[in-house]
Amino acid sequence: MNKIGMIDEWYPVGLFSQLDPNGRDTWLMGEPIRVAIDGEGNPLVTGGNGRVLAVCVRYGHVWASLGKPDHDLFPIPEADQPGRRLVEVGVVRVRCSPLRAVENFLDIAHFPFVHTDILGSEPHTEVQNYKVEIREEEDEVWATQVKFYQPQAAKSASGGITTEYMYRVPAPTCSVLYKTCPPRPSEWDVITLFVQPLFEDVCDVWPWMALYDDDTPMTDLIHFQQTIFLQDRSILENQIPTLLPLDPGMEIPTRADLTSVAYRRWLKRHNYTYGAQLVAQ
Amino acid sequence: MSDVKQNQSTERMTISGDLVPDAFLPWIDRHVAKLGLSRTIFSVSEEKIELDLSGPEELIDMMEMGCSLGPIEVWVEAIERHVLG
Repeated sequence: MNKIGMIDEWYPVGLFSQLDPNGRDTWLMGEPIRVAIDGEGNPLVTGGNGRVLAVCVRYGHVWASLGKPDHDLFPIPEADQPGRRLVEVGVVRVRCSPLRAVENFLDIAHFPFVHTDILGSEPHTEVQNYKVEIREEEDEVWATQVKFYQPQAAKSASGGITTEYMYRVPAPTCSVLYKTCPPRPSEWDVITLFVQPLFEDVCDVWPWMALYDDDTPMTDLIHFQQTIFLQDRSILENQIPTLLPLDPGMEIPTRADLTSVAYRRWLKRHNYTYGAQLVAQ
Repeated sequence: MSDVKQNQSTERMTISGDLVPDAFLPWIDRHVAKLGLSRTIFSVSEEKIELDLSGPEELIDMMEMGCSLGPIEVWVEAIERHVLG
């Protein structure tokens, strides 16, 4: 277990809207923490020894760090665009490495097989060529020009469309997906995956969305996204090895895995190895 | 069968970075064997490894993907490929 490289990063630990003065006990990278709200309405997160952790509130969530973060949480400019609906999906506990959860989110090829007739369908299984880069200035992984046929790309989609995606990894356990917005073709829907690493092999996934969709009831938006993540959970919890291999000894990546490979290279470069398997077994 | 034959290729792969050959060369051999490729290594240093690979183009793609990660003690900065006549 090595959390040193990731200790100064920010992690989601709860929804701000659900903070409770009595606090909620949870874990962050193997350390027991309590997430509460103080008398002035500010989040208060304490570590196992009672020390107060660094916190911030953004994108509907409380974020905490076990270390001393020298940077703000990554920006999502779309979160401040007027007219978007901000959707707090809730939490899904998954018995998998937090890095596996992010990697699965980046994997388009599984759509037709896991999210059949929703995000993909046979025989439309081909992943067309796309572009992947590590943007040095932002220090983020980006995949762009990703195109995929989807029977029902979003709750607001009325039929099958070829959806365009952009994926972004701005932090080791977070990913932001930009996706064709059916009601507004000039804009992107934003769907995020914020992952709280409880342990190396257990995580809480906090999806959050910023959508242009004035019609779909909030409950339906939440249920749609929860359905997707629950389908992913059964796959994630059965992956072998449990931790994300940074040495591709057992898993042999292909061209369709370009984003996953870039993500693993980025993790390796930064020593972000909590939840990673370093040596192939 | 003819499609497979058409995809056969021999390419020179030049890997550069911080390569730790004592760790990387055995790893390359294992990965080549897993993919069923054949290889000839003809240049090795701490910063650069050059090898020729023969086999289906898709599998050479997979070799490139794998090498770009490599073993944990190795950092691969770049990989160049050239089809050999």
